[in-house]
Amino acid sequence: MGETVKLAHGAGGKQTSELIEKVFKAHFANPEFTADDAAVLDVGSGKIAMTTDGFIVSPFEFPGGNIGKLSICGTVNDLACMGAKPLYMTCGFVIEEGFPLEKLEMIAEAMEKTAAEVGVRIVAGDTKVAGKGQVDNVFITTTGIGALTEGVKTSGAFAKPGDKIIVTGDVGRHGCTILLEREDLGIEADIKSDCAPLWNTVKSMLDASSDIHVIRDATRGGVGTVLYEIAAESNVGVRLESTSIPVDPAVAGVCGMLGLDPLYLANEGTMVVIAPAAEADAILEALHNDKYGKNAAVIGEITDVMPGSVVVRTEIGTETLLPQPGGELLPRIC
Amino acid sequence: MEEKKLTAREIIEGYKGPKLRIMEVCGTHTHEIFKLGIRSLLPENIELISGPGCPVCVTPVGFIDMAVELALDKGCVVCTFGDLIRVPGSMRSLADARAEGAQVKIVYTATDALDYAKQNPEKQVVFLSVGFETTTPGTCLAVKKAKEEGVQNFSVLTANKTMPKAYQALKGSADAFLYPGHVNAITGEDDCRKLAEEGVSGVIAGFTPKELLTALAVVIKKCEAGEPFFVNCYPRVVTAEGNIPSKRIIDEVMEPCDSQWRGLGTIPMSGLKLRDEFSEYDAVNKHGIEVTEGTPNPACRCGEVLQGKCKPEDCPLFGKVCTPQHPVGACMVSNEGSCSAYYQYKM
Amino acid sequence: MCVGLAAKVVGIKDGVAVVDASGAKREVSAELIEELEPGDFVMVHAGIAIAKITADDTEETDELMEMLV
Repeated sequence: MGETVKLAHGAGGKQTSELIEKVFKAHFANPEFTADDAAVLDVGSGKIAMTTDGFIVSPFEFPGGNIGKLSICGTVNDLACMGAKPLYMTCGFVIEEGFPLEKLEMIAEAMEKTAAEVGVRIVAGDTKVAGKGQVDNVFITTTGIGALTEGVKTSGAFAKPGDKIIVTGDVGRHGCTILLEREDLGIEADIKSDCAPLWNTVKSMLDASSDIHVIRDATRGGVGTVLYEIAAESNVGVRLESTSIPVDPAVAGVCGMLGLDPLYLANEGTMVVIAPAAEADAILEALHNDKYGKNAAVIGEITDVMPGSVVVRTEIGTETLLPQPGGELLPRIC
Repeated sequence: MEEKKLTAREIIEGYKGPKLRIMEVCGTHTHEIFKLGIRSLLPENIELISGPGCPVCVTPVGFIDMAVELALDKGCVVCTFGDLIRVPGSMRSLADARAEGAQVKIVYTATDALDYAKQNPEKQVVFLSVGFETTTPGTCLAVKKAKEEGVQNFSVLTANKTMPKAYQALKGSADAFLYPGHVNAITGEDDCRKLAEEGVSGVIAGFTPKELLTALAVVIKKCEAGEPFFVNCYPRVVTAEGNIPSKRIIDEVMEPCDSQWRGLGTIPMSGLKLRDEFSEYDAVNKHGIEVTEGTPNPACRCGEVLQGKCKPEDCPLFGKVCTPQHPVGACMVSNEGSCSAYYQYKM
Repeated sequence: MCVGLAAKVVGIKDGVAVVDASGAKREVSAELIEELEPGDFVMVHAGIAIAKITADDTEETDELMEMLV
């Protein structure tokens, strides 16, 4: 049994400093990483975007990532959706007493690597240790600021009839991965979470098109939920082509076993992008040239029919409503 | 005949005869029919009625109450198919019980619950055994194994149902039935053939788009011909004799009993319970709980919906206090329930 | 009422079959099907193989439509 996190590590004394030195400073070191009470940063003169997100995921390690990677991706992607280049982040840890230090290091290492990939710097952090059973292993909250790209203005309220709907990758992989890890359903599939920091991907889309209306991270609730949100916020209809929606075959297989729809499964590295039809090809090409966008596809379009609703053109050419997502995802068997 | 051969879809879309009421008995059919938008192909004179073939929908309130009691008061680990978690009981659902600290575990198959019991000998594990002929063999396999291996901390709470008596109760609800293909995979063709001899028409239907459209086309053509009929439209899965080992194990472990169907009331000999030699695996006996009928919301019209006597929107609760997020009746809980389907697909 | 999954048997041992549905694999009970072999297709419900089947619905539906003429 290796070293573990003790309550004393969160008491603010010597052991806290040790933990910070050994784990966090070792991985997050950069000129702006502060030893003082707050980081002092140069953010330039333009507008900035700012966001925060809390991460609890059970299990904290999963195929394709861990909670550390996830905590960077989530905030990076939220910033990227606004067309903001992620600059700085802070992270707050709540760690359960007894959590292995080695695992904490692994999490910090994943955060370092993921942050480096998109050039974001972790500039301040906080560590609290909670008693055994008060948290589930480790919770992380990250806050990020990013510099808005000039001329980019995206919002869930900007979708217009005639726009094309693009997903940047195949859908439902993160949710499916976690479901298989968590629920002990005895199903084996070679599925990895899509968890990825997408700033470079978004940047390549913004370079390819200056007229993107909506970019949204299809996390909890999946693409289906995001499309309902956009339909409501923009007061438009959404029409999906069921046969165009990219789904990893193994994800489809798992969903078939459990009576689930991949459209409602979470993604952590797949976004919904909405842009005028004339821009779609250029955006798609940029995505296909990006390492996280290989499976990108146009999955439907924005309409003026039935505002607020998502309609699916089925494999037999009929149209049906996509049921509104809601509640806990439960396997349907009997 | 020079008439060009019509596709199944053309037969359905082009139907101009007298009004036809077709009941899809199986909840999975209901689900697929909505998901595929098949209702939008139907001409006005064809009405599809969603029948009682969703185990979640017909499981009575009292069953949930007993499961909650086992989980909360008796401290059992309750293993269930995900479908049942949100079904409201008289006071609370299993999801509510879980929020209060009960251990409720989702399993994929009955033997997973048995395996869990074997791995956790200090816990009492109860599997919620619902479902029709298709699902019941799994429970029987698990109970039989538990007995063979002498597992002491495993039991099942049964609400298993069989279809033949239900068909009798549904006679007259529709001009023809789409029989539940996967039930017939176990039971074979006999029950349906007998029904045709009694004047009740229907076809065994599969679940793919092609299979569903073909089954509907066959129903239409046969109804036009006017004679009571039975056709097995799912022969790649359903054989005339069904699955004999499954029938055998059901018969070995369980025996018929009267059974309460939510909404339809008690139908004599329409359920299955463990035989006496397996009674030590009956959760009711083992944990000494009372069999209760529960108190469903009196305004809920799920029962009439299940019999095709009213449409979901005729119920005063539908879409107002009863929604998929806050279901009152079971037909709103299950994705296969007709109320849920009507609500979600706004038909 | 009974969600079914058509899957291919990729392994079988002691009454337990491993089935594969486009890359998702699970052990299911093969105790209720006689003479199951790898390569067979089965219909699986709640972890139990309930029928040996043909993988495709084309032939079946074509024959039914022939019958209607």
